[in-house]
Amino acid sequence: MFWKIIFGALTRQKSKLALIAFTVALGVSLATAMLNVMFDVGDKVNQELKTYGANLNVVPKGLSILGEMYALDPAEEVAKRPEQHLREEDLVKIKMIFWAYNIVDFAPYLETKVMLGGQAVTMMGTWFDKHLTLPTGDEVDTGMARMKSWWDVTGFFVRDDETHGVMLGAALAARLNLGVGDSFPIAGGDGEALGEFIVRGVFHSGGDEDNQIFVPLRLAQRIAGKPGLVQRVEVSALTTPENELARRAAQDPNSLSRLEWDTWYCTAYISAIAYQIEEIMPDARVKAVLQVAESEGAILQKTQLLMFLLTVLGLFCSSLAISNLVTANVMERSTEIGLLKALGATTVSVTLLIMTEILITSLAGGIAGYFAGLGFAQIIGRAVFGSAVTAKMLVVPLVALLVLLVTLAGSLPAVRMLLLLRPTEVLHGK
Amino acid sequence: MMNKNTFFMLKMLCGSLLRRRSRMAVALFGIAVGAAVLLGMVTLCYDVPRQMSREFRSYGANMVLVSAGGEALNLEDATKAAGLLSKDDLIGMTPFRYIPIRNNMLPYTAVGTDFEAVRRTRPYWQIKGNWPTRRNEVLVGADIAEYVLLTPGKTLSIDGRNSRQAKFEADITISGIVKTGGAEDGFIFMSLPDMEAITGEGNRADVVELSISAGEKELKNIVAAVRDRTPSLEARLVKRVTQSETVVLGKLEMLVYLVTVIVLMLTMICVATTMMAVVMERRKEIGLKKALGAENRRIAGEFMAEGAVLGALGGLGGGVCGLLFARLISENVFARTVSVEYHLIPVTVIVSVLVTMAACLFPVRRAMDVEPALVLRGE
Repeated sequence: MFWKIIFGALTRQKSKLALIAFTVALGVSLATAMLNVMFDVGDKVNQELKTYGANLNVVPKGLSILGEMYALDPAEEVAKRPEQHLREEDLVKIKMIFWAYNIVDFAPYLETKVMLGGQAVTMMGTWFDKHLTLPTGDEVDTGMARMKSWWDVTGFFVRDDETHGVMLGAALAARLNLGVGDSFPIAGGDGEALGEFIVRGVFHSGGDEDNQIFVPLRLAQRIAGKPGLVQRVEVSALTTPENELARRAAQDPNSLSRLEWDTWYCTAYISAIAYQIEEIMPDARVKAVLQVAESEGAILQKTQLLMFLLTVLGLFCSSLAISNLVTANVMERSTEIGLLKALGATTVSVTLLIMTEILITSLAGGIAGYFAGLGFAQIIGRAVFGSAVTAKMLVVPLVALLVLLVTLAGSLPAVRMLLLLRPTEVLHGK
Repeated sequence: MMNKNTFFMLKMLCGSLLRRRSRMAVALFGIAVGAAVLLGMVTLCYDVPRQMSREFRSYGANMVLVSAGGEALNLEDATKAAGLLSKDDLIGMTPFRYIPIRNNMLPYTAVGTDFEAVRRTRPYWQIKGNWPTRRNEVLVGADIAEYVLLTPGKTLSIDGRNSRQAKFEADITISGIVKTGGAEDGFIFMSLPDMEAITGEGNRADVVELSISAGEKELKNIVAAVRDRTPSLEARLVKRVTQSETVVLGKLEMLVYLVTVIVLMLTMICVATTMMAVVMERRKEIGLKKALGAENRRIAGEFMAEGAVLGALGGLGGGVCGLLFARLISENVFARTVSVEYHLIPVTVIVSVLVTMAACLFPVRRAMDVEPALVLRGE
């Protein structure tokens, strides 16, 4: 009997219940879209902030002080010693730390002086777009071209296996009157001719690089006479915003308790990633570039907080709309309920009847809304970040709970009111 | 005659609004929530990009001033150039002057700057110890401190030559160690007045950093303005900061816009469905009116008027709540009050009136198509 009445109500009141289902679907789609975007926005914005460049600098232990201190006096003698360099073959290890998947890109640099048209110019050797095969069998593409997204490049980035292709900084190219495709001679620091080189690209970076010449790492190593060596590595990593624990760890990892240490080590704090790189490259020192790391944290936190508040707002207004409509629907059915009561239905059975009816409707609406919401989330993800938003399973129970609570809360006051109705009065049409 | 008609209509309107208080309250509430969301979101949408742009200033300076000729830059010119900017947009202006010095025959680079301003243009500096406050107090880069084993409180004697090759000597006290992970770790920082007193050369700098809250286009205009007004200076954009900010900020703006559009769309539909439910249950009333000889136009007009009243009331109430809401969010996220656009309140009222009326139209028309007798008999 119970199910027969329900079935009857569901089929007879199609349009009204369809309206409820529709509103629930809208509310749920909004909630699903906002929750999915909210959970993913951190990762997405973090990825975007990588356009600010490296947030970690890997330098050899000794050179980290001397190199920068002697920035004004060329300390060629110091820099020539092999212990003042990192080994190129060690670099793949960066991709093998605990947080390997958070390492977005990295690029090594080797600096040397060459003579160009009678002037001493800094030549920088690097990986432009290097394909690496890790000992674990994974394949990785990385390099400088991916990390310097703000560079304006005319022409192309040099390929890493080229022996005579170079890139010139815009200021240097203008001074030497060279353009893409031109060839010119380069002499070593001691004046010995190295042959003709071809300009593959000219870049404008807005920094010191505009006066430098960029070449593949192999070429720079040959010219500098430092085969297999690099001077420093820039690493761009996805990190978690720093908190008090991370700051304490950055000062001295040994000051943490065992439990704190585990938490710190297993969270992608910049200090933890730096520590892990130092662990596997014992002769290196890893410095966090605070300008990038700190700002990233600040912006990430603000964005997440903003999205969180907007989500709460979205949830709030969709729950209000749903409960509003449910209340309106229950209220207008006073005649029906009056009749049921006149026929001898108990309070409990009437309540149960109405609740079941509305919950079934909401369920149908909610399922449709969930998938519509996934669609909205994808639209946002594609339009804003150009990549799909991952659908988090956590959203499903959250949304289900929301629908349940909202529908119940929406129907409760109306049900209470109806139960107080006297059948005769209602049926009389008062 | 007309007067009487209008009076009757008003009476009907008031009657129907007052008689079904609870149902109207439900509808009113729905509309108010819709209006609150509308106004709150639009206000935020307008304000968020601006606030975010201020947050991005934590990346530091986005413009540097250097001397157009080869010689050192005159600080008075730089102040004049900074005068071109509005006080609100200029977050900070910091001069830097680099000189080579020696301590125990080891060469270092000393940087003269304004410590007050540095805290605004380079908020990411981490200081162990204190910022310099007294005369000849300095900050030392973390790498130097580690290498030479320096701690706050130690005193160094330095010497060097100024640009006229005159010798200078001084004793400096370390008040703190600065750590940034960047080039700063290898420098010694002192205040510009101290540096002027030590070297005997004043009012000059090598670079002036500006942190400006503005988009890339505005910054380019500023660069052009500086070139015109102060020919002795050259303004350059810090490409890494400006370009990346444009990219990231653009995406964030778009995110907020899209979310706003979706929320607004859904809210408006929700308001419409609520109104539809309220009108749909009154088919009987419509049938009765028709049976009594009311014209279709008349009935539609009455419902529209009712919708308009509800829309206006809900819009007004919701608008005020929306503003409070936007302010709450802005204060929580950005710790800054949102600039309230009062002209948005009438716009919200108009939009909610329109949406409510449109939502009434559809069910009313459907109800009017029905034969009165059929409706009155109860279908």
